[in-house]
Amino acid sequence: MTSIPNAGAAQILREISATIVENKAWLSEIDGKIGDGDHGVNMAKGFGRAAERTPPDASLTEALQTLSDVLMAEIGGSMGPLYGMMFSDMADALGDIDQIDATSFARMLRAGLDGVQEIGSAKKGDKTLLDTLIPAVETFEAHLAMGDSFGVSLAAMRKAAQDGRDSTLDMVARIGRSARLGERSRGVLDAGASSCALILSGFADEITARLENA
Amino acid sequence: MSGVRRRTSPRDSAPARPPIRFGDDPLLWASWLYYQEGMTQGEIAEEMGASRPTVNAYLADARARGIVNIAISSEHMRSVTLARALEDQFGLESCLVVPSHGGARSLIDKVGHAAAGILPMMVHSGDTLAITWGRTMLSMAQAARLDGLRDVTVVQATGGTTAKIPYSPESCATRLADNIGARCVPISAPAIVSSAQARNMLVQEPVIAEQLTYLSRLDRVVFGVSSLRPNSTIHSSGFFDSALQQHDFYVSAVGSLAGQFMDAQGAPVTGPLSDRFIGLSLDELRRVPSRMLVAAGVDKVQPILASLRGGYVTTLVIDSDTAAGILRTLDVRLSRYISSSRDKPDTPPDETTEAPTRNLVKKFLNDPRDVVNEAMEGALAAFPDHIMAIDDSVRAIGARTPRPQGKVGVVIGGGAGHEPAFLGFVGQGLADAVAVGNVFASPPPDRILTCTRFADQGAGVLYVYGNYTGDVMNFDMASDLAAAEGINVRTIRTTDDVASSGFEDRDARRGTAGNVFVFKVAGAASARMEPLAEVERLTRKANAACHTIGVALEPCSMPETRRPSFVLGAQDLEFGVGVHGEPGVQRQKLAAADRIMDEVCDQLFTAMKLGTGQRVAVLVNSLGGTPMIELMVLNRRLQQRLNACGAQAHMTLVGHYCTSLDMVGASITLMALDEELAALLDAPCDGFAWTRNAVMKQA
Repeated sequence: MTSIPNAGAAQILREISATIVENKAWLSEIDGKIGDGDHGVNMAKGFGRAAERTPPDASLTEALQTLSDVLMAEIGGSMGPLYGMMFSDMADALGDIDQIDATSFARMLRAGLDGVQEIGSAKKGDKTLLDTLIPAVETFEAHLAMGDSFGVSLAAMRKAAQDGRDSTLDMVARIGRSARLGERSRGVLDAGASSCALILSGFADEITARLENA
Repeated sequence: MSGVRRRTSPRDSAPARPPIRFGDDPLLWASWLYYQEGMTQGEIAEEMGASRPTVNAYLADARARGIVNIAISSEHMRSVTLARALEDQFGLESCLVVPSHGGARSLIDKVGHAAAGILPMMVHSGDTLAITWGRTMLSMAQAARLDGLRDVTVVQATGGTTAKIPYSPESCATRLADNIGARCVPISAPAIVSSAQARNMLVQEPVIAEQLTYLSRLDRVVFGVSSLRPNSTIHSSGFFDSALQQHDFYVSAVGSLAGQFMDAQGAPVTGPLSDRFIGLSLDELRRVPSRMLVAAGVDKVQPILASLRGGYVTTLVIDSDTAAGILRTLDVRLSRYISSSRDKPDTPPDETTEAPTRNLVKKFLNDPRDVVNEAMEGALAAFPDHIMAIDDSVRAIGARTPRPQGKVGVVIGGGAGHEPAFLGFVGQGLADAVAVGNVFASPPPDRILTCTRFADQGAGVLYVYGNYTGDVMNFDMASDLAAAEGINVRTIRTTDDVASSGFEDRDARRGTAGNVFVFKVAGAASARMEPLAEVERLTRKANAACHTIGVALEPCSMPETRRPSFVLGAQDLEFGVGVHGEPGVQRQKLAAADRIMDEVCDQLFTAMKLGTGQRVAVLVNSLGGTPMIELMVLNRRLQQRLNACGAQAHMTLVGHYCTSLDMVGASITLMALDEELAALLDAPCDGFAWTRNAVMKQA
């Protein structure tokens, strides 16, 4: 199969939410090393509430919009608006399409990235979630342009997201609250980059499973 | 068991030998007496002729060596797993799942007794508690036993019934009140009356009106839920006979809660009965801080799920089969809650930020997740002349003072944890409203918008807040939303923290205690009825004049973790800290107060090019854990240094103004003043953290 139905794809986001909730303690722990240690708590709160309010038979578009609403209206902090914009723009990019294929997924990823960049001022290398998101989006687009299948491109995106996350280990934070630590922020993963890798890996795994089982 | 004789030998006699069947093993003997005979450690000590600590050590050793294995039966283990899954899925504070099978009690009595067992943890002196009705509620009320509480009130959650059922609202409430030594407040009216007119008349009856006021200030509510199946309580209770004949109105209802119908998502279903109901509405119920649902039976899966989805429940008591049914409906994989292994990358150990090996910091907390709301409720109750809740979130707070038409509104805000900032600076001559976020996290845009609408008097609104990534995004979004409503918003981000960025890069700095002076100037300019552009100009000027440096002696700890936010050696101090518990820019050796202040002064004076004749406003601010006496010691040296430089302190504030939870430390803010800024600082103001009367001009 080369595409998955949009209807019922809310289940993908419910699985991702479950992963975020499972990793709550870990995300808070890495955040605590250079930030204030609440990333996991806030992410789990937002994703958990959204999953609860999303019926399993909803479309991915609807699920993304619900998640965005919860993050924007109830979570606050910096991750609320950043991920809120990302998911809202992803939802807009999908719109009311019936089938999600590689092209529409690429459009969704790119819109999400644009959304984050529009609201935040970080750049690649600043030790933020963009260090996961940018290489992941660019890798997916590159593989698609080379003519690779949806599944192959997803696998490449998954790898790029995880490499991107790991690249933050050796970076010095240049934005956000950890920036004032300067050199002292080196040697720790960025919490936002880590949660972003969980989200993108979740998309890759869940879509791949549906493509194979279809 | 036979074969165990009580020895009466005195303690100091020789140790007894174990009976022959225990071999020569005192561990086995002690374990047998403890686990099989159910004797206390004291009794065993006497029996064995050993001391109590010895028995204690025997028992511990027996467990360690595998003589005793403690196994939890699989049915109970399953209950714990189900409870964890439900807590997680619905963000419950707690969930108790009792095994559906085994034991002599009926299913309803199982959950009823389990709920009664939770009551001592839930109900405290001074509480007002409401209870609904039904078989489960009566079972709980009958099993409840609480001693030693005072001033507890039990309120009937709905009006009553004349139906001949033992589990009526009246009997559930009176039984519970009797058993826990509480005062009982009935609702002296039927739950469902014949018409809306009758309802409106009854709720105005003084006796009933007074009883109903208890329902608006509940601390806890305990309730059951009813399915709409033919044999359920709702049918046999005689409440809704007419309603069920008007079935068309209630087709979307899946259950009933406190006498009202709800759909699968927990939303109230309205119909002909809605305006004939007397009691706790579903909206009111959801606002009660602590809400326990007690329910059992697989026919209740749907109504329980609806109650959970509707956000009515904080504590759930349920049986295991029903719990499993709910999780199956949601397609939740239980394996997730059994195994704790997870796929995560290895993070290399990091010596410098190694988690400290010390106990949790002690704090006055209930549930740490409630700390902000509870603090705001306490503040609203303490300062009713200064602040009020704008909506029922208690996180959007406005000034009590009149806001004349044409006055520029000033909205401030940020994360909690800085108390008395920021809400202490709302009031006459200060800010008009404050949006409060979670601890150290910006408030979301909707709440800021609520404050904006409140503050707007047609002349526009100025946002003043610290320059942090999260605050910038959320306030900017609120500003866009306000603009779409035709409210003109301008923004000043405070950037007084000298340590956070180089002198040349002012815009990248953070806002810390200098906020206090900047708020004051904005509030004073707006109270003078200056137009928005002028209020903005003066506030910007105030921010540019403020310079702050913070020094920490001990880190702070977040309510959720209660662990120090960083580790500081016994002889270390952290120079250049902000107000979020983050480490500073430099670690130094602890020194005398005057030497620490000298370094602060050196940096501040350089940053602001302080010279002879310059007037300054001074703020010596505690970061939370440093007492007034030390702040005054610091201020002494600061004033000496100002004198030595030829500068003059026009105004000095010393105290807790902008804190970082319990961080031990202080921040020093200096604001360079000219006539214009001095006049604005001198203007009277009245916030609960800063009150200033009109000052007499010095000759």
